[in-house]
Amino acid sequence: MTLTVILLLIIAALVGSLYMGYGYHRLRRPVVLGAGVGAVAGVLGALLFMLPLNFCTFEPERAILDVGIGILLMGTGMGVVLFSAHWLSRYFLAKGKDKPVLTGDRVQGGFNTSVLIPLVLLIPTLIILTLFLYYPAIDLFRLSTLLARLNTPRTVFRCVDNFSQILDPQFSIVTIGAIILSIVLVVGIAYIQRIGETRNNPLYNTMRSLVTPTLLVLLLSITVDLFAPDYRPVVYNTFFIAGWTVILGILLGLAVAYLVFQPVKGAAIYRTLLIWPYAISPAVAGIIFFLMFDPLNGIINHLLSLIGIQGPNWIKDPWLAKWTIIIASVWKTLGYNILFCLAGLQNISKELQEAAAIDGANAWQRFWNVVFPGMTPILFFLLITNITFAFFEMFGTIDFLTKGGPAGATTTMIYEVYTLGIIEGDLGKAAAQSLVMFVMVIGITIFQFRTSGEKVSYGA
Amino acid sequence: MTALTQTYAPEKKKNANSWLPQRWYLHILLWITCFIISFPLLYAVIVATQTNDEVVRYQVTPGSSFDTNWETVMITRKLGSYMVNSTVQAIIVTVGKTVLSLLAGLAFVYFRFPGKWLVFGFVLMTLMMPTELLIIALFRFVSGLGWGDTMAAITVPFLASATGAFLFRQHFSNIPAELSEAAQLDGANPLQFLFRILIPISWNTIGALAVIQFIYVWNMYLWPLLIIRDERAQVVQVGLGSLRNIDTTLTYGPLMLAAVVTSIPPVIVFILLQKQFMSGFAITRDK
Amino acid sequence: MQRKNIFVLLLVVMLMSIAPAFAQGATEIKMWIAFTDYRLDWARDKAAKFNEVFPQYNVIVEGYDNYEALFAATALAFENNTQPAVVQYFEAATRDALDARNADGTLRFKPIADAIGDRADVNGFAPAFDDFVDAVREYYTFDGTFASMPWNTSSSIMFSNQELLTAAGVEAIPTTWAEVEAACAKIMAMPDAPTNCITWPNHGWFFEQSVAQQGAELVNNGNGRADRATETFIASEAAVSYVSWWKSMQDAGYYVYTGSQRDWTGTYNAFIAGDVAMLIYSSSDTTAVTNDAAGAGFTAAGSFMPHNGDMDYAGNLIGGATLWLSNGLATEVEEGALTWLLWFTNTENGAEWHQITGYIPVRKSSVELLATDAWFAAIEPMASPIWADNELIQGAQGQAWYDALPNARVASDQLAAATPSSATAGAIVGAFPAIRNEVTAAIEDILVNGTDVAEALTGAQERANTVLEEYNLLNAE
Repeated sequence: MTLTVILLLIIAALVGSLYMGYGYHRLRRPVVLGAGVGAVAGVLGALLFMLPLNFCTFEPERAILDVGIGILLMGTGMGVVLFSAHWLSRYFLAKGKDKPVLTGDRVQGGFNTSVLIPLVLLIPTLIILTLFLYYPAIDLFRLSTLLARLNTPRTVFRCVDNFSQILDPQFSIVTIGAIILSIVLVVGIAYIQRIGETRNNPLYNTMRSLVTPTLLVLLLSITVDLFAPDYRPVVYNTFFIAGWTVILGILLGLAVAYLVFQPVKGAAIYRTLLIWPYAISPAVAGIIFFLMFDPLNGIINHLLSLIGIQGPNWIKDPWLAKWTIIIASVWKTLGYNILFCLAGLQNISKELQEAAAIDGANAWQRFWNVVFPGMTPILFFLLITNITFAFFEMFGTIDFLTKGGPAGATTTMIYEVYTLGIIEGDLGKAAAQSLVMFVMVIGITIFQFRTSGEKVSYGA
Repeated sequence: MTALTQTYAPEKKKNANSWLPQRWYLHILLWITCFIISFPLLYAVIVATQTNDEVVRYQVTPGSSFDTNWETVMITRKLGSYMVNSTVQAIIVTVGKTVLSLLAGLAFVYFRFPGKWLVFGFVLMTLMMPTELLIIALFRFVSGLGWGDTMAAITVPFLASATGAFLFRQHFSNIPAELSEAAQLDGANPLQFLFRILIPISWNTIGALAVIQFIYVWNMYLWPLLIIRDERAQVVQVGLGSLRNIDTTLTYGPLMLAAVVTSIPPVIVFILLQKQFMSGFAITRDK
Repeated sequence: MQRKNIFVLLLVVMLMSIAPAFAQGATEIKMWIAFTDYRLDWARDKAAKFNEVFPQYNVIVEGYDNYEALFAATALAFENNTQPAVVQYFEAATRDALDARNADGTLRFKPIADAIGDRADVNGFAPAFDDFVDAVREYYTFDGTFASMPWNTSSSIMFSNQELLTAAGVEAIPTTWAEVEAACAKIMAMPDAPTNCITWPNHGWFFEQSVAQQGAELVNNGNGRADRATETFIASEAAVSYVSWWKSMQDAGYYVYTGSQRDWTGTYNAFIAGDVAMLIYSSSDTTAVTNDAAGAGFTAAGSFMPHNGDMDYAGNLIGGATLWLSNGLATEVEEGALTWLLWFTNTENGAEWHQITGYIPVRKSSVELLATDAWFAAIEPMASPIWADNELIQGAQGQAWYDALPNARVASDQLAAATPSSATAGAIVGAFPAIRNEVTAAIEDILVNGTDVAEALTGAQERANTVLEEYNLLNAE
């Protein structure tokens, strides 16, 4: 065991010194210094998660999955510390264009006062963020390594068992299919590009447009595949419900916004009549849709029966229950989506649209070729905010509409955290599940920052 | 945001069927859309006045039970007290967060101090920590403070946020630097500058943050569900749950009445402040 | 500047509303119960009456959606020290209630008998533990100490649509699984047969009842009564035969699954609507079933829960909940809580509670009272409006209650018919609510997805054993 730890730390030091040595070489600073800093940073990074865990994942009797989690954690810790060390080195050592630009450093007509004043201004905010966000976040990490339950003060250290219980990587048919499709697409596109027949080639255009959806399905499918059979449905439900809510919500929002954007009298009144559901709470949305979709006494099944359709048992059927949640959530978020799509439409140059109209483009072509591309920044913004809504805020709707049922068909990740941690009192496992969500949120945020930095311009 | 209210000029061409409004098909489409979107709430409003019998008979006119339902909601189940608690909570958080965010924005834009990038990063990182994610640990911490069943538990943790601080930071950086230079020449201290100059020209942004916060807090459900147990301290979204069972069976009327009454404050705030709401987001998108 | 004025106005409103809202006065005694319907209203009526008689106390009753929600809420409340003085825990929470500890290691609940000590009475009310019916007293006595105050106790019984049975030529109400099946064959063969023959909720309680009826234990160590249970027997022979019979009833089109676990409402409505001829249910709603059936134009006849005819009938279990007293209360609060508990569960209130619901009278004295026509005069002075407005109850005055409503007696008789053993005393096991969830989830899997009975139950047993192992790791001495 001790030997393993020493070996791991040596590897960490080596990786760190290589990375930072190269980094210092590019900064034209002594490579040896970089290697030294890197070795220390690498070891510190390895210890970041492993010291609290006491290297338990590398105990001889541990399963391969635990060792894998251990390596992943060590790698993540090293990544965080090495990246920070590299960044700090550039910030303090580099000159000119190599020096990272910090938006936070900008000052506008600054006051030349004592350092205390800005700190006093910031301290209330910092205290609240530390106590109510940072401290719980750290406590969450601690809890996730414990067997801890409500109603008892005793805890037992469980290493990463709470995580390995919900993880069980495998390849599903969907993933394999998506991988094959991606390979076919990449090869196909490359081949057509090579023979140079890209112009007006419907096959080529179709393949191009299929790349993003395929990669998205692949990403989601691989994520679902990571988890153990018990937990996989929860992740799947989350993606299914969130995905359709986001897609339908944004598309409908865009369609309605386009409609109300047309020059008509009383547009402001229509707009107000269309957007107010944003202010309705997810819980109230759940209550109202619970009434409407009640299989026995609900108005929806009554209306269906008027046109001769026997209404289904909406909230008792696993598949329909998901859709009932999606419909309620789309309704609740529609106002928000309409509002932002309207704002986006107003930013699109009217001249462009008129020019397209003169060119003989019909309404649909104008929409697809001129309006839609101009809307990408706002649609991207809506995508991120809608995903956040679907992940977290939908809790109230689910709790009032289906309570996660039937048979867990509408239990999303946040609902499972609540059921497991609060209703069943299993704090440790619930903390581990919260951290799994945390990783997803970090992923989305990084994606958001990168994309908004590079491609999407919010310029007014 | 003037762009929002701007519409195309009406077509000058005289319509052949002059008794029809211009582009009548659009009006019909819009009316249908408005009806579909409003249908759930309209139906809830009707049910709110009905007895269970009237609900299951699918009566589409207002029912006979408004008084009884009102009495159930307000007297038997104390929705009024939940509303008061939610109002107090929403106001404390809205005002508190606006003040703290103004101060933080001021510090970020108008001051130079060592380690500023670090503080900035510290605040920025919290964008990745939604409260919902932390509830298990936050519950243990707030419980440990002995804040169960108190107003503090549902307000203090929400008094500061990265969104608020960055909203004002963005807004202030769009204000010409000459303004603060002139203020300093006049001998104003930072707080005087904030109250005399910045706030008066920031009402739109303040309104934006206020409307977002008000609706966010009013609609908060998961956190009070965990931390508030005493009926007298309960907020409205959780309190709604107590209306599901009144008699031996589910009673639709009182439940819907409560749902409708609960939704009135945020909807009014939102409709009145929708322009501020949009302008707030317009700022965050300005680079 | 208008917006500025709105802000100032909001500030003023904020400051005004922070003014102290809670008035001081009588000693406040909070009780949380798992009802939000007429039963909550009844408990509140009783609290109001009690507060009149004892102005030094102010009993406040708050309601929660169901036992599971209340159980979770109480655990949370203890974490932040906002727990009530009295809380209603269902039978499955008994082990957890006995084990629950605060962060400083002190127990969260105090046995009622310890709180009363060797006093003959509290504020004039004698505890009279001997007065509780045997099944109840045995269930809640641990190491010779009476742990919590019995209030709502039930057993699972069957209600039959008498007219449908008669029409189908079923002469006697079936008592065994085979007889139920035979009766269903006749009922479903009728030209105007109901949609299905029988239903009951997929609740762990009915599973436990059927296992106990066959004389089998649910957990080891004498059903958790000789020593702390460490293993569950969810996939035992008795369990497999019960669930297999259940599944065969569904396959034959006799049993209908309403589609969700713990669906009390759906099964109840199906019976009242005449969609099924028989309903296995809790005796807790005997009064409502009898009333609603009469309203729907048929007679609901109560009978013992059908059992496995191939095995000797060992007896049924109690269900329901008891009232637990929080530990560490201020002296005057504890004193008030004890007074309230003894008054609330006295002979007359117990009888009234039984009449409006169908929960069995937990005191022998209540049973005796209801066996004569003296009950009306005894209950009336302190009765609640719910009791006074109930036509069934009012119509029964002048005769012995059990004569007026034979169904009311079924659950008490069923409990008395049990042969005392560890199996029929009922299991005491940690994390019981979670174990029940494993059972109902497995049964749902069997009913909905057609999973093999033994396979599904074995899987549930493994998961339940893990849950129990973890529980014991944190709670066992």
